[in-house]
Amino acid sequence: MTATDARPQHQFAMVIDLNKCLGCQVCTVSCKTQWTRGPGMEAMWWNIVSTIPGRGTPRDAFDLGGGYRDGVPVPGELPPKGQWGEAWNFDYEAALSGRGHLEPLTADGSPPEWGPNWDEDVGGGVYPHSYFFYLPLLCMNCSNPVCLEACPRDAIYRRPEDGVILIDEEHCHGYRFCAEACPYKRIYFNEQRVIAQKCISCYPRLEEGVAPACVRQCPGRIRHVGWIDDPESLVHKLVHVWKVALPLRPDFEVEPNLFYVPPTLPTAFDDDGRFDESRSRAPEELRRLFGPGVDDALATIEAEREKVRAGGTSEILDALISRDWNDLLGPFTVDPGRLERPPR
Amino acid sequence: MSPPGITALLESGSHEWGGAAPRAVALVPTPVESQPSVYVRVAWAGRTRGDVGEVTVRAGARAGGVVVRLDWEVPLPARRIDDWNAYADACAVLFPEGDAAVTPIDTMGSPEHPVHGWYWRAGTDDAFSLTAHGLGTVERAADHPVRVAARWSGGRWTVVFAAPGVPPVGEGPGAGVAVPAGFAVWSGVAEERAGLKSYSPEWQSLAFGALEDGA
Repeated sequence: MTATDARPQHQFAMVIDLNKCLGCQVCTVSCKTQWTRGPGMEAMWWNIVSTIPGRGTPRDAFDLGGGYRDGVPVPGELPPKGQWGEAWNFDYEAALSGRGHLEPLTADGSPPEWGPNWDEDVGGGVYPHSYFFYLPLLCMNCSNPVCLEACPRDAIYRRPEDGVILIDEEHCHGYRFCAEACPYKRIYFNEQRVIAQKCISCYPRLEEGVAPACVRQCPGRIRHVGWIDDPESLVHKLVHVWKVALPLRPDFEVEPNLFYVPPTLPTAFDDDGRFDESRSRAPEELRRLFGPGVDDALATIEAEREKVRAGGTSEILDALISRDWNDLLGPFTVDPGRLERPPR
Repeated sequence: MSPPGITALLESGSHEWGGAAPRAVALVPTPVESQPSVYVRVAWAGRTRGDVGEVTVRAGARAGGVVVRLDWEVPLPARRIDDWNAYADACAVLFPEGDAAVTPIDTMGSPEHPVHGWYWRAGTDDAFSLTAHGLGTVERAADHPVRVAARWSGGRWTVVFAAPGVPPVGEGPGAGVAVPAGFAVWSGVAEERAGLKSYSPEWQSLAFGALEDGA
């Protein structure tokens, strides 16, 4: 049986609107405080927001192999911890006494060489066509999960009820083939426990009808969740009907269930310094990240905006704006604050 | 820290070895094409392996249990998992639970014919006690009586396992008893782990000599 044979009853999916991402990392911190505070998890960021253009987290994340090409797994590379970014220390005494700045230090006291979202706001393009945008990254619960196939122990499985992909920590022996094979490099290694760990899509919250922490905490309201197989869901419409949400690096052939509304970016200028609405500032970068469908997706978004500018309405833009917060959450609208919790 | 009682057995010249003689066992790399994951087969096709060609085995018995000592050449040891892309040296001893003649060693047993084993990984003080019934099915026992001592010196790892007994003999096989056993070592520097290792492709007869009383 291959990974794709085991189709779940429903598939949990997420759509992230990159036009609304602030790069504030609240999603990152909400995940950190919820899930990665245990031993050996200090340097783990199951959710991270990287800046594009940039080399990513870990460094050169999308150029380290993994995924499939023409259906054959591509050997991947697992970078050392320093290329992900260690759990830094800070010399608070030096900073507070005026002897120095609040510079990050690695465990051995040396300055770090890389870290999460290391190249924030470096940006790209040539003036006046400079640009940047933010790209949140987390486990994509792929429908063709190469991590699952790579594990020789079958310690990774896809939940039949929601398609969420989990690592069985009791069964994992820390071989890390999964981490090599993930083309998005979203699987971490717990050195203390010698196991692989990754985003779990907040599955205990999903089971209670509560959206993942990164979704509920997002101040930009950029994340939609729901069942991609439900034709009435907004995630289904955004991806399959309106086709304005696209998978990241479809050439990796892992069929991710995390989709992105590509950034329209500021309009390009023509040779006379006037706005040229017909040109993107970074067409090649966007095609590289989101595939050839990005041109049509951006054209659809622009056409919908034009409709609204002309006084009309747009179901697509209304969905992306999400005036009612609950519209983002699909079937996961339960307020976690109202759940009964076992006494501590 | 090595457990008391077996540390002296790390020394090949220890008087405690008494009549237990060392024996060289030839090892070969496990075939990449037999690995259970397509990813591993593709990623490791043609890759440099650890290629540990031989392990020296010594086994002894005394009241209260048996010891098995493995030592093999490792010029550059991987002493622990000290980074996210680092792998440690390791070794294991494997025993068929039943009839060795029908228990496959190259797949670590089968559903009908399971195997039992002891595993040690550099950087840990504890041994793992394993069972398996085919590739990718290794389970580690939560509680077990197997102890281990290890040392790297002079370009060689030496590892001593101590246990009350071995399958299928059970507890306390005496000196002179021989059981079928298999051996494997992993090269951390070569990033070997899981089924990627050097191993004895056939069951070997592991004879237990009489140990002298230690301190």
